[in-house]
Amino acid sequence: MKDSVICVENLYRDYETTKGWLNKKKVIVKALAGISFEVKKGEIFGLLGPNGAGKTTTIKILSTLLAPTSGESRVLGYKTFGEENMIRQHINFIFGGELGVYRRLSGRDNLVYFSNLYKIRKNIRDKRIDELLELVGLSEKGDLKVETYSKGMIQRLQIARGLINDPEIIYLDEPTIGLDPIGARELRDIIKELSLRRKTILLTTHYMHEADELCDRIAIINKGKIVALDTPVNLKKQNRITSVLEINVLGIYDKELEEIKKIEGVETVAVKKNDQWQLILIQFKNTHNITQNVLNVLKNNTVISVNERGALLEDAYVRLVGGSI
Amino acid sequence: MITVLETIYSTAKLQMKEAVTRPTFRFCLLIQPIIYSLITYKMFINSGHDNFVAYTVLGTGILTLWSCICFSSAGDIERERYMGTLQVIYNTPTNFKVIILGKILGNTMLGLLPFFISFAFVRLFLGGDMYIKDPMAFGISMIITIASFMGISMLFAAVFTLSRSSRILMNCIEYPVFILCGILFPIEILPKWTIPLSYILSPTWAVKLLRLSVEGLEGNDIFCKYFGILTTITIIYFILSNILFKIIDNKTRIKATLGVV
Repeated sequence: MKDSVICVENLYRDYETTKGWLNKKKVIVKALAGISFEVKKGEIFGLLGPNGAGKTTTIKILSTLLAPTSGESRVLGYKTFGEENMIRQHINFIFGGELGVYRRLSGRDNLVYFSNLYKIRKNIRDKRIDELLELVGLSEKGDLKVETYSKGMIQRLQIARGLINDPEIIYLDEPTIGLDPIGARELRDIIKELSLRRKTILLTTHYMHEADELCDRIAIINKGKIVALDTPVNLKKQNRITSVLEINVLGIYDKELEEIKKIEGVETVAVKKNDQWQLILIQFKNTHNITQNVLNVLKNNTVISVNERGALLEDAYVRLVGGSI
Repeated sequence: MITVLETIYSTAKLQMKEAVTRPTFRFCLLIQPIIYSLITYKMFINSGHDNFVAYTVLGTGILTLWSCICFSSAGDIERERYMGTLQVIYNTPTNFKVIILGKILGNTMLGLLPFFISFAFVRLFLGGDMYIKDPMAFGISMIITIASFMGISMLFAAVFTLSRSSRILMNCIEYPVFILCGILFPIEILPKWTIPLSYILSPTWAVKLLRLSVEGLEGNDIFCKYFGILTTITIIYFILSNILFKIIDNKTRIKATLGVV
């Protein structure tokens, strides 16, 4: 792609660890198994995948924190390992959760310190910090110690920290994790605002509606490999001949799930576990009517509700990744 | 553009602000010198030396300075790793060495406070007094001692950045150095095989130099010899830490040790 700012080609990353105590054995864990993609300037690019799929590893390599085992990763034309000094001024990253800031200092002190590390002049720094505190809604709490902040406020401070150097590329690793719905909505609005300013954003998330709402393109990654890469609309189109049956039950055994999988027309079966009941998500070809057959299999279970609907992005994801959500 | 010195200054300032909010650090800085002073005062009171208070204050000061430096190079890296800030500061355009130097400077500046606390405690509560026969030599010795402690701290910081077991390493090195470097008793009474270890550790020479200047110089030869050795060791520490930081810059990213997971 001509205007790509991120180029990843056949990227591999292994982690070396040990197993056992007395008789230690070296174990190689494959986090990335040859992924390739490109991200255009100004694009919001999503990386979706289950835990351990390789999303954070990809972001860490692209943000110069991790060396690839093999393959190539370039940001703004420079290698992320070997030419990192040419990249760091122009990028920043925000990891979800409450890490990455000094909790015993005030929010403002944190931002002042990080701007010094990014070598930002005092006159620009002070103005930018005020703007960023305003952007993330922390203007009035900026001088309080971070340890007095709520989780959502820390997350918002993280956003301000991640924007302190006015980066061209921002990596967001599950930025809305643990936020309440309003906090998550505000954060998504900030991401949209950044996109309007032509910032390139690489985002990982577990929330499909978030990826659907924000991303221009999405790569679905599983076991270190990209299994699909397209726009949210096209990913959903891949599932247009599919419908989804949602059944809430109290208790389900593997044996029954296996029986459901054997019903003609069924493509995938996934289970979402809640505290007291399970949600079975069955994707099936909409040329078939499977509802009665499924209810026959579940005749000894307590079925709370049954609902049939069209496919969403989440269903495309389940279809590609498979298994539990 | 922010200069290297400005970055070192702002890091040192942040480090001091953060450090004093931690109860453990406050204990090491304010209470530990009093305990050490009491112990060393009682140890030296019957030594027959008329300036034994100087030994008490120096011993206490160096012990606590060493503890603070251990904190700066190991504890802080461990803490930054668990706070998730290690990878954030590592990823900025500022050289990681410069950031670490600022942190060590901050801790060292705080670590000098126990010298005064110890002196005040011994003077006010135990009624002891001390003298420094050669203040000029003492001042020079103190400067090179601080520089040297910072050098050794940089060296440790480099190793600890690479290792996730920095707290264990820190605990392993804190107390042996008290013994090996003759901070409280002469190294000559230790087994012979430990002497080479003592000689490669800069606190050994720092203690000798400071004691010499407290006692007064009879000639400049020994002072110059100790000063030369300490300066050389300090330069070696800085060169080694520089090499190590270059190596770890690649190693940490290959071994993925910047974060907790």
